[in-house]
Amino acid sequence: MTLMELRELSDLDTHLGNRPAQLRAAQRKGVKVVGFFPGNYVPEEIIYASGALPICLARGGSPEPVDAALTEVPDVICPFVRAQVGERLLKTNPYYGMIDMLVAPITCQHLKKAGEIWEYHGDKEIFKLGVPHQNDAEFSLEYYADRLRVMKDRLEALTGNEITDEKLGEAITLYNRIRGLLREVSLLRRAAPPPISSLEFVKLNHASFYADPVFFADVLDSVYHELQGEKAVTKAEAPRLLLLGPNVADGDYKVLGLVAAAGGEIVAEELCEGIRYYWHDIENEGDLRRSLARGYLIDRLPCAFIRRSAKKRLDFALKLVQDFDVSGIIWYEILQCEVYNAESYFFAQRMREHNVPMLILESDYGTADVGQLRTRIEAFIEQIRKAGDND
Amino acid sequence: MIELLKLCGFTDSEIEAQLPRVAAVFSRFGVTAEDIERGKQRLNKYYDLEMPGVRQAVRLCIKDLTNMVLAREEGKQKVIYGFMAPGFEILGSALLSKSSAVHVASLFPSLHFVIGCVFDKIVPILEAAERKWLKSGKIAHCGNVKTLVGLFALDLIPRPDLLVTSGFLCDTAPKAIDLIQELYGIPTYYYDSCHDREFREYPDDIRVTGLAAKSLRRFALKVQEVVGFEITDDMLQEAIDARGGLSTAMKNIHNLMDSGDPLPLSANHDLLCHTMSTLPRGKSDTGEPLAILNTIYEAMQDRVRKGIGAVEKGAPRVLALNPHHMNDPRMEHLLGELGIALVSSETGFFAPHGERDPAGEKPADPYEKLAQSLRTSLAQGLSARAAIIIEACRRLNVDGVLDKYHVGCRMGAADAMLLKDAITQQLGIPVLLMEWEGFDPRAYNEEQCRRRLELFKDVLISSRQPE
Ligand code: SF4
Ligand code: SF4
Repeated sequence: MTLMELRELSDLDTHLGNRPAQLRAAQRKGVKVVGFFPGNYVPEEIIYASGALPICLARGGSPEPVDAALTEVPDVICPFVRAQVGERLLKTNPYYGMIDMLVAPITCQHLKKAGEIWEYHGDKEIFKLGVPHQNDAEFSLEYYADRLRVMKDRLEALTGNEITDEKLGEAITLYNRIRGLLREVSLLRRAAPPPISSLEFVKLNHASFYADPVFFADVLDSVYHELQGEKAVTKAEAPRLLLLGPNVADGDYKVLGLVAAAGGEIVAEELCEGIRYYWHDIENEGDLRRSLARGYLIDRLPCAFIRRSAKKRLDFALKLVQDFDVSGIIWYEILQCEVYNAESYFFAQRMREHNVPMLILESDYGTADVGQLRTRIEAFIEQIRKAGDND
Repeated sequence: MIELLKLCGFTDSEIEAQLPRVAAVFSRFGVTAEDIERGKQRLNKYYDLEMPGVRQAVRLCIKDLTNMVLAREEGKQKVIYGFMAPGFEILGSALLSKSSAVHVASLFPSLHFVIGCVFDKIVPILEAAERKWLKSGKIAHCGNVKTLVGLFALDLIPRPDLLVTSGFLCDTAPKAIDLIQELYGIPTYYYDSCHDREFREYPDDIRVTGLAAKSLRRFALKVQEVVGFEITDDMLQEAIDARGGLSTAMKNIHNLMDSGDPLPLSANHDLLCHTMSTLPRGKSDTGEPLAILNTIYEAMQDRVRKGIGAVEKGAPRVLALNPHHMNDPRMEHLLGELGIALVSSETGFFAPHGERDPAGEKPADPYEKLAQSLRTSLAQGLSARAAIIIEACRRLNVDGVLDKYHVGCRMGAADAMLLKDAITQQLGIPVLLMEWEGFDPRAYNEEQCRRRLELFKDVLISSRQPE
């Protein structure tokens, strides 16, 4: 049996198909649906513990919402953020329209604008979750922990439910289970060849944005156990690659597909919606709000908007290169993401010093660049293959 | 060169003393004899050198730039730069009051003015940054950070002992200095706040100014380590007090600009005055910029009395969103030439009334005073920014708004469309959006600008409410 034939995965597909209707039915019974923007700085645990259903709004990859947003933001704003603005305008994606409240984390300077634009329209309850970008001071931690307290108060007011320590502890246990399983599955990809492709893994991770977390954890558990005895999905000689960059949105599968088609095997994704989310667990003891604050603000691998983050992520990427036996890096950034674009220079320089080839790709969600991307990816993989042959 | 210095208000004895220094600095920036000729023409064209105080302002910019570039060679033991760091000029003034071994500079109002506005020599610096990590093209990196990186890439200014920026406005500047530290080994530091104010809290800013004050305090400890002496709250308060005169002088100038018809001063001079008010100066050293500002103010009063202005009386009045172009005076000049009164740019409008001063009780903590710039429109989220701008428009009684949004500055550019929406809905006045780069002269296209602004002027006039 292949992974895709696993009954739990087809159940997950069905679950996702029914999820909007399920959420609406829950709303009719008074349950609240709370959306949040991705990037790893919104603790779903607090939302879940309030009895609300958390949904991560991270749709991307198609040009329509990105273009629709141009009536509200200029095209120097990154396509991912424009998608979050455009989805609200288009109303075609059910999740964007149904949320009762949006938690907008104050992360990169583009994404924070998406929250501001939703706030400007005033038709949804918004909570802007302050994330201090200087995360190395005690006062920053206190600030973020206090904003989590306010988030808790706002969710309690929205749902009418008290968020007790007990409920928070249960939520942390549940999400730690999900993170732990994603981590375990991810670690299986150290094998040569890996038992699950990058595209499959990324889509599985994306499913967690919408799925019921208890159900999803059980699915992941089955997948993990199935994969332990699973045969490889690719040929052993496929060059092993590490994907670095800001994000891969739900639906943004162009580059992953092109790499796979060119015979490359991405074995780890160091992105906001990748390793950064599941690499660390949240401590489930003591002052839980503080523990969440520490886990989300400090312990995690920082995004590029956090001060002094480039070196930390570089060191971590170099460790992944070792641990996952990587022979090349694909740096995939979204057009107009100037902060990651600036960093790509630094990473490329340092990777060169470590003899790790790195390809920098940048794309919006259009189709016009597919040919050019394909050519560059093929040439890069060929170059790695040749280097491998010469070794 | 001598002629140029004379034109800029240097006296004969000053020229004798300063010429070798200034010449050394100009040659480092590749300023040729031809550039000097062009500089003279540009000064005569874009600035009213006959207006008392203006030459002295240009002269002070040249001196400030010279002092910065030669700081190491002339024996300064510690060099500290602030870049996009509001409040730094005050802390810097406290340092300068205490020690003459330290050089403190705000990057780069005076450099932008002399190298950009006067000599039009910024482009090679931008290009140097584009050869590093701030590549040109659609990505549209900010020209201000390009200038910073280009200066270090070309070794045009001394490497500092500390380079500081703030996250008060953007992530772009902090990212740039992070990479400067990694790639050039220059020690850097940040102070920060958090951009999480909700409009439902508006205009309450205590949370974010409080966070900024803590961060600024921590920054002061870092500076202490670098300079080797303590920075007390009293020193900081003294610097705030000593600079109080500069703020008052600027306020006087703005009051005349806000109400004067005809507009007594053109936008390019407004920027020059602003530069005077933001240079870090020691306690005993604020006299020079203060005298310049007061002289300009008196000259403006005289103009108002005589009915003389930068544009004709009754010219359509416009508020420009975002600051004026920092190193290219052409667009602001063109507006005047077309008979549009550019009453102000969006610098220093405070919540909630769009006034030039923060409303309410002044905080007792000097670090919280340094954080007050967070209460201005540019540091706010979209809805609060719109609210402040709308109040400012009402107060200034403008006929329209020009939002020449700086594409490299995402936090400001992102607001353009919805600011227009808010202003149009609430005030019914025309708003012109123009894509722009506020630090890169290559963005200017005279023909296109002229055409669009002429049309805009017609719209402004035709949409004026009958008296
Ligand atoms: S892609 Fe870059 S600019 Fe866009 S949201 Fe992510 S980090 Fe921000
Ligand atoms: S202009 Fe904007 S993007 Fe550029 S450094 Fe200043 S605040 Fe940052």
